[in-house]
Amino acid sequence: MAQGEKQRSVLRINLDILNAVRDEGDAKPTHILYKANLSHERLVKYLDDLTAKGLIEVKQEGEARTYRLTPKGVSFLIEMRHAESFVQGFGLAI
Amino acid sequence: MASGALITFSLNILGALVALLTSYYAYRFNRLVESTVLRAISLGFMLLGVGLILDAGTSLFSGRTLVESYADRVFVLFATYTYLTVQMVAYLVIAVGYSRAAYGSGQTKTAVPAALVGSAAIGLYDFSLLSYFVALILLAFVVFQGFLLHSGRSNRFSTIVLLAFGLIFAAHLVLLLSVLTLGTGLFLIGTGIQFLGFLSLLVFLVRSEVVGAG
Repeated sequence: MAQGEKQRSVLRINLDILNAVRDEGDAKPTHILYKANLSHERLVKYLDDLTAKGLIEVKQEGEARTYRLTPKGVSFLIEMRHAESFVQGFGLAI
Repeated sequence: MASGALITFSLNILGALVALLTSYYAYRFNRLVESTVLRAISLGFMLLGVGLILDAGTSLFSGRTLVESYADRVFVLFATYTYLTVQMVAYLVIAVGYSRAAYGSGQTKTAVPAALVGSAAIGLYDFSLLSYFVALILLAFVVFQGFLLHSGRSNRFSTIVLLAFGLIFAAHLVLLLSVLTLGTGLFLIGTGIQFLGFLSLLVFLVRSEVVGAG
């Protein structure tokens, strides 16, 4: 159970990041950092992970770096929101 | 065909479809969330769905034929006992899953001994009575856990699921009474209330889908 909870909390962080990216459109790391409530070091790790999974993509313009959801990321977010509603019905949380 | 058998058949088939749909969603989301609770819900509702289909088939068969031959009687008896056993196991699995959601893994042990003590008390006097009694205890436990979860983490989805389990519990109370009094009318009322419980679950599934898409 402890391992499951740990996995869920990672899932929750990923969801918070994806929601932040979706809300912002082209999201700056500082905005994501603020909305996902993470340290810079951890945020970079999670962003790299989500980019590698193809859920978000990086847009580099000069020094400015922004993130946006990929179509796969949008589908994943929809599925996760559905999953979250479902598990809430049975008293669980992601 | 007797209208009562047709009603029972229809309501059980519809209830089975909702149970199997719930099982499918729990299985699908378990791949994302990886929760033992979702695994239990998936397995429990799958068993419930299969059991209800079996019971619906038995209702249809016994409604179409007079069930006079020895082979027919054995078949109906076997199918009924199988359904009642599958139903007990299904509610046991759901109760275990629900208690894990409420307390973690430690406190599952309260409903199971209660159900076993109840079973021993009734013995093998009447298997139908026994199975409905055990299912009733397990459902009471599920509703209680659901109420605790709803109190601690109240949301519109848990309210609907609690209502669904509450209705299924009430249905089993009426079904138990119908077994005790051999009342066909009570049996139909119980089946109807159980269907309303599954209808509530369907509302929950649809609303959670809408939220996901929105």
